[in-house]
Amino acid sequence: MSAKVSAGKQVFAIVKKDVLAELRTKEMVIAMFLFVVLAMVVFSQAFGVILNDLDRVGGGLLWVAFLFMSMLGLNRSFVHEKDEGCLEGLLMSPIDRPLIFFGKMLGNLLFLSIVELFAVPIFFVLFRLEMGASMAGIFLATIFLSNIGIACVGTLLSTISINTKTRDLMLPILFMPVIIPLLIAAVSATGGIMSGEELTEVYGSMRFIAVYDIIFLLVAYALYDYVISE
Amino acid sequence: MKKSSLILASAGALLLMAGIYLAFFVAPDAVVRIDDRELVRYSQKIFYFHVPVAETALVFLLLGGFFGAMYLGTRKRSYEQMSYAAVEIGFIFVILVMITGILWTRADWGVWWEWEPRLTTFLVLTLMYAGYFVLRSSVQEESAKARFGAIFSIIAAVNVPLTFMAGRLDSLKPVHPKVFTLQGASMEGPMLAAFLVSMFGMLLFATSLYIMRLDLLRAREDIEYLKEELEVG
Repeated sequence: MSAKVSAGKQVFAIVKKDVLAELRTKEMVIAMFLFVVLAMVVFSQAFGVILNDLDRVGGGLLWVAFLFMSMLGLNRSFVHEKDEGCLEGLLMSPIDRPLIFFGKMLGNLLFLSIVELFAVPIFFVLFRLEMGASMAGIFLATIFLSNIGIACVGTLLSTISINTKTRDLMLPILFMPVIIPLLIAAVSATGGIMSGEELTEVYGSMRFIAVYDIIFLLVAYALYDYVISE
Repeated sequence: MKKSSLILASAGALLLMAGIYLAFFVAPDAVVRIDDRELVRYSQKIFYFHVPVAETALVFLLLGGFFGAMYLGTRKRSYEQMSYAAVEIGFIFVILVMITGILWTRADWGVWWEWEPRLTTFLVLTLMYAGYFVLRSSVQEESAKARFGAIFSIIAAVNVPLTFMAGRLDSLKPVHPKVFTLQGASMEGPMLAAFLVSMFGMLLFATSLYIMRLDLLRAREDIEYLKEELEVG
């Protein structure tokens, strides 16, 4: 059967399933969005003194919020599958195992990007930041590029963590050290854009993020079959 | 203790002692010039211990990832034990790297810690492999424990060079001394000899620990098996 249906269609079917479930419950995206905005409020209260220097630390604050928000969403994305017995259904359906990964990953990438698309303008308004249109394009491109890595590593590791005793607690412990290289590059790139650094350095960081994405996409592609099959 | 690991352990211990002797009595002291005055940096002596420990740690962690991949490919239990033991030994050496490194930065840089690519890499590495053990202990079923352990050991091994490369991006400026570059080692004669003796001593010693740990894991499994046999019988 899997030979007849193209890989793209199989992946699309899983993404569609996740989007439909989200449209009906609306619990994940809204919770993630509220979490990011609340995190910004916490930052403004916790770091009030250095807010004048936000050109330099703003990129970091944004990524802390995004990172924790993404873990929240990644945990949810498999809790449903596991608790409702949906994962067994997915495994029994005639879909190639690595394609299940790409389906789940694209769903996570989509939710992450939607939330961030709304959160970034709020961040700029709340912290009185300004940015030209061309810079904003590079800024959003950096965020999207990083999202690919976050969704990729996150989907891979949350599939593992959901099968452990501690579940939600396990994901951050596995996820954070693995995402650190990407975080360093993402903070460096967004921080560089915000403080008006040379674009060559920003591009260097973006190139690193792209390399990170590709490496972990390959790793996940190779390993996901072992992660998901008993 | 098996004969092979005993021989390796003694050879390693002898080489390590020779390394210490060479480091302190044969290799020249490191000297820095500050305003025509020559200052001897005795703290540099830890280099003959710290760097071999670090390289041994990396070797065993990479082996852990390699055997992890072998396990996933073949599903042979022995590879899983080899992967787990390698990560364990690697982790012990990572902790040793952190301890010796922190002592040295305090003596040489005057601070306990500096956010610098190598230091950051090793701190992340420590936390990541600590996560490996937490992950394993959080999975009950033996086969799933082996599977997830192997998978994470591969992910972690891939992540080590990435963390190091990311640290080289503009935000963190490297200040850690670089001895080995693509142009070769920036030391010669007695210094290099002392280092190489320590390096091989450390590798032999770690290998002997590794073999002992592996024997222990196998023995434990045999006992579990015998216990089950007895219960069934």
